[in-house]
Amino acid sequence: MKTILVVDDEDPIRQLLQEELTEAGYKVITAENARDALKLVQEEALDLVILDIRMPGMDGLEALPRILGLKEGLPVILHTAYSQYQESFMSWAADAYVVKSMDLSELKLKIKELLKE
Amino acid sequence: MDSLKKLTTIIMAGGKGERLFPLTRDKAKPAITFGGLYKIIDFTLSNALNSGIRRIYVFTQYGSFSLDRHLREAWDIMHPDLAEFIYSMPPQQIMVNRWYRGTADSIYQNLTLLEAERPEQVLILSGDHVYKMNYREMLDFHLSSQADMTVAAVPVLRAEASSFGVLKVDTRGAVENFLEKPAEPPGMPDRPDYSLASMGVYIFRARTLVEEVIKDAKKKTSKHDFGADIIPQMVGRKRVFAFNFADPDGTPRYWRDIGLLDAYFLAHYDLLGAAPTFDLFDPDWPMRCRPQLYPPSKYITSPGGCLAVGDALIAPGCIIEGAVDRAVLSPGVRVGRGATIEAAILWDRVEIGAGAVVKRAIIEDGVKIPPNFHIGVNLKQDAKRFHVTENGIVAVPNNVILEE
Repeated sequence: MKTILVVDDEDPIRQLLQEELTEAGYKVITAENARDALKLVQEEALDLVILDIRMPGMDGLEALPRILGLKEGLPVILHTAYSQYQESFMSWAADAYVVKSMDLSELKLKIKELLKE
Repeated sequence: MDSLKKLTTIIMAGGKGERLFPLTRDKAKPAITFGGLYKIIDFTLSNALNSGIRRIYVFTQYGSFSLDRHLREAWDIMHPDLAEFIYSMPPQQIMVNRWYRGTADSIYQNLTLLEAERPEQVLILSGDHVYKMNYREMLDFHLSSQADMTVAAVPVLRAEASSFGVLKVDTRGAVENFLEKPAEPPGMPDRPDYSLASMGVYIFRARTLVEEVIKDAKKKTSKHDFGADIIPQMVGRKRVFAFNFADPDGTPRYWRDIGLLDAYFLAHYDLLGAAPTFDLFDPDWPMRCRPQLYPPSKYITSPGGCLAVGDALIAPGCIIEGAVDRAVLSPGVRVGRGATIEAAILWDRVEIGAGAVVKRAIIEDGVKIPPNFHIGVNLKQDAKRFHVTENGIVAVPNNVILEE
């Protein structure tokens, strides 16, 4: 079973993703901030990270290179309510950029692609 | 000038320069003395200044203090309130916990810097080359070619091109292939006896640069180097052009990579003579160095002194009582009575004792050569104490104490 880390400061989003992705057959771990996420990236065997951008403390674009520095080649999907970060150079280091939506089909599709399922 | 406003300039100056050992054992290669008064990086910085560039990042790593100190002492000339600067940038260890793995990785590690600047083009230079180049001409070529990346390339005789990264180009300068040290270098379309050698000088469209260094950062097999990884990764996929570093009549312009002790030594001969191949006395392209307070050089005729000066560059503050021929002397050098200096490079404050002989040698700053001591006369003897190159050049570092 593939393991996905969901990083988001909003509780309802973490819950939604946890439920939907578990149902889709993934093991889901969550973190509510980037610092906890970086710890989990080091400790857990992860297959993919779903990373929110706007979070208090360290934001997703600051966390992204750190995650890639810890686990080279670990796929990361930026998952944000905002589309303007797509122009940020740092966001280009992510494997995908998905704008948040109640409909998770795009996100699930990207996960499948990146996990080569 | 507008195109320069949207240009970010980065000088790569972090390499270890192991092939220049022992000169690099305590300092970065770009901080090595060259041409009497200069550090090697002064040529690239002067080129930038003469091209109208006023915003420069110097990426440092190995021996960074030697460069920081030089930038402070010689290049503290920009006005940040006019948006001018020269900043040194060692690995910040913020984004990732590692050193720069290569030139491309140093860009990757500083993406936040490019994000803050948001340039349209990025000029990437090397801090260890000796040449005169107007980067604005290259930028114009890059923009008019609508290139994603432009590589400056100098024509070298095809027979001698096998030691370079060679670009195969079409008649417009579009790069069709890049070959690292090819056994059979491809000739230029209009001059089959010449090949185009990459000079390690690049201009990138900023967006392309970011895409390519990110892509490279994810490659496990990559050395994260522009020459070895980024150019080959882009050729055939992106618009890569070669900027021919030659005069309008096709004569290759002067460019030297100071990679080896022999190259370092030989390049000094290009500075000497009535019509040197690399002229430091060019009013249109002044080379800047650290201003130093020294009195004028003094030449003393004395009984048995044998004062004689042939082809040479002699910096201020020297006192000479012996014979100096085909030599380059940094400030504060003393050449004692009856001493002979022949084909040698003497760094700052070297003292040559009376009657000593120094031939085909590089002497580091502060070395005191005792009276009647011989260097470069008996190479077997020299090799016991000093580094002697394949071509018989003796390098005397300043961590040795010589006795009569």
